[in-house]
Amino acid sequence: MESAIFGQAIREYLRGRRIAPWLVLAGVCFLLASVWVKFDPTSQPDGRYAAVSSMLAFRILALASAIFTTAIISQEVEQKTIVYLLTRPVPRWKLLLIRYVASVTVVAALGIVAAVLTSLGAFKGLGGNDLLTGDIMAMVAGALAYGALFLFVSLLFNRALIICALFAFGWEASIPNMPGEMYRLSIFSYLQAIAQHPSNGDNKGISLLTGSAGDNLITRGSAITTLVILIVVMLSLSAWWFTKFEYVPREDAE
Amino acid sequence: MSQLVSNDAPLLRLHNVSRWYGQVIGLNDVTCDIGPGLTALLGQNGAGKSTLMRLITGQIRPTTGDVKVAGQDPFANPEVYRRIGYCPEIDNFYEHYSGRKFVEFLARLDGMSPAKAKARTNECITMVGMADRADRKIQGYSKGMRQRIKLAQAMLHNPDIILLDEPLNGLDPVGRREFIDLLGVLAAEGKCIMVSSHILFEVEQMTRSILLLHRGRLLATGDLRVIRSLIDKHPHQIRIETDEPRRMAELLAPLPNVVSMRFDRSGDALQLEVRDPDTFYDALAGFSIDNRLFIKGFSSPDNNLESVFKYLVGN
Repeated sequence: MESAIFGQAIREYLRGRRIAPWLVLAGVCFLLASVWVKFDPTSQPDGRYAAVSSMLAFRILALASAIFTTAIISQEVEQKTIVYLLTRPVPRWKLLLIRYVASVTVVAALGIVAAVLTSLGAFKGLGGNDLLTGDIMAMVAGALAYGALFLFVSLLFNRALIICALFAFGWEASIPNMPGEMYRLSIFSYLQAIAQHPSNGDNKGISLLTGSAGDNLITRGSAITTLVILIVVMLSLSAWWFTKFEYVPREDAE
Repeated sequence: MSQLVSNDAPLLRLHNVSRWYGQVIGLNDVTCDIGPGLTALLGQNGAGKSTLMRLITGQIRPTTGDVKVAGQDPFANPEVYRRIGYCPEIDNFYEHYSGRKFVEFLARLDGMSPAKAKARTNECITMVGMADRADRKIQGYSKGMRQRIKLAQAMLHNPDIILLDEPLNGLDPVGRREFIDLLGVLAAEGKCIMVSSHILFEVEQMTRSILLLHRGRLLATGDLRVIRSLIDKHPHQIRIETDEPRRMAELLAPLPNVVSMRFDRSGDALQLEVRDPDTFYDALAGFSIDNRLFIKGFSSPDNNLESVFKYLVGN
């Protein structure tokens, strides 16, 4: 039963039309990392990699999570197929969490593909990139954390995609650059703490684009702990809410 | 209100159930027990049939009152879903799936192993007459084919309780006949089957046991024939189209069944009110032959659901 739910969700997410734009964006990471040296001939491969990864690959991760995660339930409600899922002997929490895992798998895979392509562009190969392992860890953590947060938001609001996309692009791009302790309110700051990217030096523009203009004093250990707490709380709330709430096709409920 | 639905231990029990959608009432203080056998849920569009189905299938909760399915609260209750097969009214699917893949996926959600899901899918698809078309994508299916696939998924896990929301919509006459026969077989096996419909004629072919809903209220429960006979005691409206309405009126006026008559605005039809309509119908054929009256058309607006409601609400 679990494998059927997971398999069905994965197949939905991996349909050509849904996945192709993300693969194109991952390709853009490769191109940008490849041509970076033309604009900044003094840059080192790890600097180029860190800049493109923070600027683009992590944004792809957040946006993909917003789009895939908000579809976990809302897509079924909109296409009115939710009724088939909710009238089967599957506990609702299980249905929700399995579909969440499927979404996280796809989003994390997209993030990792973007990171690997960025590495290929920056280092002209896969070897020599000490940052890649940290980034892969951060991509997985990010997919789990963004997914858990967006899942809960998608259960609470009808137009969750707009809220989540604004969070992914607006909040996550700006809050890490804020002065003081504000950066702690952004998931991206914790992902950067896990990834441990090197500083961008004095280049303010690049620092702003990569979300590293503010101070980030979060350690890798505390970042992981914080994200685990966020994931557990958000998933628990989501599972509880989904078990209690009525899901009927919208126009029928009016 | 007579309670003629089967009195065996009720598989479905609703007690003072009301359901509001904001300011709109979907179901108003409904109490009934439903046991094994085939029960039709009859009502016009918006009467509350789908709301009742959703309450029983635990998709929504009652605002007040209790719904019990086999003694349990159905809302989000997997134990209840093991016993329920539900064919929703909605016409939505994973359109890019084939009918077989769709049904097989839901069989897996019912807890079947891949092999068993495959085998049971084949059985159910054959049962609904879709064996030769099940591998085509659902997006290319006709309304009737989609309806059959919905029926197949409702019967997958051999449930005790089968709830079918307007299942005959879109089926051709042969399909309807086959489907009604299938329901008869399942009901004879002791399953509790509830079928909603807004077409009286359709329901009469399926069962005598009905629940009559009107604007959210349970207007009557029991044997459809009893309700019909109650209605038949009151004057029935009949419209007869003929080339000679005045001559027909002159000849029909002395008959004891005829309560009133008037000419249709079109001038080529006669509208009558008659008592004991079956006797009148029997007599009319011979009467028209004996008097060489040509009847072009004949209809009784009272033979529809609206008139049943009119009668019940009016009384």
